[in-house]
Amino acid sequence: MTAPAMAINPNQTQPFLQQVMERSGQNLTACYQCRRCAAGCSVGDETDYFTPNLLIRMVVLGDRDQALSNQLVWKCVSCYTCGTRCPNDIQTARITETLKKMAKEEHLEPLQPKVAEFHDAFVRSGLRWGRVNEMEFMGAYEMKFALRKIKTREFGAIMDEIKTQARLGMEMTRLRRMHFGFLMAKGRKEIKALQRKSKQRATH
Amino acid sequence: MQLAYYPGCSLQQSSKLYDVQSRRIFSELGAELVEIEDWNCCGATSAGKVDDFMAMAMPARNIGIAEGAGFTEMVIPCSACYSRTLVAQQRIKDNAALAEEINSELAAPINGSLKVSSILEALEERIASGALKDRVVHKLTGLRPVCYYGCMLTRFPYAVPVPDDVENPQGMERVLGTLKIKTIDWNHKTSCCGASASVNDPETAHNLMAEIMKDAVARGANCVVTTCPMCQMNLDAQQEAFCLKHDIETRLPVFFITEIIGAAMDLPPAELQTDRHFIDGTTLLKELEQHEEKGK
Ligand code: SF4
Ligand code: SF4
Repeated sequence: MTAPAMAINPNQTQPFLQQVMERSGQNLTACYQCRRCAAGCSVGDETDYFTPNLLIRMVVLGDRDQALSNQLVWKCVSCYTCGTRCPNDIQTARITETLKKMAKEEHLEPLQPKVAEFHDAFVRSGLRWGRVNEMEFMGAYEMKFALRKIKTREFGAIMDEIKTQARLGMEMTRLRRMHFGFLMAKGRKEIKALQRKSKQRATH
Repeated sequence: MQLAYYPGCSLQQSSKLYDVQSRRIFSELGAELVEIEDWNCCGATSAGKVDDFMAMAMPARNIGIAEGAGFTEMVIPCSACYSRTLVAQQRIKDNAALAEEINSELAAPINGSLKVSSILEALEERIASGALKDRVVHKLTGLRPVCYYGCMLTRFPYAVPVPDDVENPQGMERVLGTLKIKTIDWNHKTSCCGASASVNDPETAHNLMAEIMKDAVARGANCVVTTCPMCQMNLDAQQEAFCLKHDIETRLPVFFITEIIGAAMDLPPAELQTDRHFIDGTTLLKELEQHEEKGK
């Protein structure tokens, strides 16, 4: 395997880099490619040689397309190992998190759709009820997955998913680790107001 | 003495046992955990990937509630909740404009006086006061735990005061050491279990957990001890699956630290709900106790 080639795009460089730096709060230009981040990356074996330093270089060079769609952005588990070891304090997880949001805003198909669907379902549940209901959000998450697979007629994948989740669900029920009540916070109104503020901020 | 307590969503649901244990252990140690009123979800690891502002605002509301009720310290057993709350608190402290924006919507605005503590920090305070040592009944000789911290107790996405050594934390070792339990040193105490990847990218999560498990087994551990409900759930519920996939024959119970403390204090396992593990842990604890009886 070789490292992926990068496209240099001078016109893209400045605005894209600026945007990623601002939103992630990370100083990407401080990176001197020492690869300490790469050496310790938890998902180093899973990303087709796509390492944190490579992602940073890609953003710096303005290769927007690859930066928004690569295995590291979608497989990064936000373990923060790279960032705590980086001599320049660059927290790559904040960069992958930023790129996930940017990919969503541009309606790009995520490389790992289940990852995007999971976090969306989780946050939606938390914001709607004030607390996350495991059963409700897992249901919403599985529904998204099934709908996507129905579109491509991959019924086997749906069955496999149902089998895995049903097995886990039954085990959890036996161990009384399945919760059948419903959690809610009365302060949902405050959370809704904050959410409106967040939307306003995003459009400004 | 009373401490504010933030259980978070998972301790009200799939990890209810951890909630029960935490309250019980602290009350035994002379500190009452008082659940803060009408708390909300902290946003966990997901909010930062979907909405950055809400990732700050959600924990902020809980901090405000605790401060408004007059507490000076809040204990958070879940590592994800702890990390999110600590980071939000620091970021808001460092950014007056953000503080103003969030505070203007909160019924209980934050003023920055609250100390946010992980369960380990709060336990260590009880070691310092001698409260923990005084309560030990069983020695649990033969327990050979590896202490598993995972990511979120020592690594943060923002500059916060880190409560322990980043790469080689010792808090759990200190707590178990106070109970005279010999812990096993190993390489994977701060490795990542994959967190939510166990649901949305199981292949990756299973690979990560297999590495952790192999090291624990190779070092002769007979159980894993953790403080994080997500790590506990992953290593426990997925263990059979990733061990089969990676040819690992041994199975290890994954205990919350509170269960071990409870066993050492001779609290009834039924009360601590120790029987709610995917990989059985009650047999091991019972054997150790019987062994101790014979030795007397
Ligand atoms: S550790 Fe930091 S400076 Fe070194 S390559 Fe990675 S991001 Fe760049
Ligand atoms: S935070 Fe992401 S990029 Fe950094 S080491 Fe962990 S998995 Fe790799």
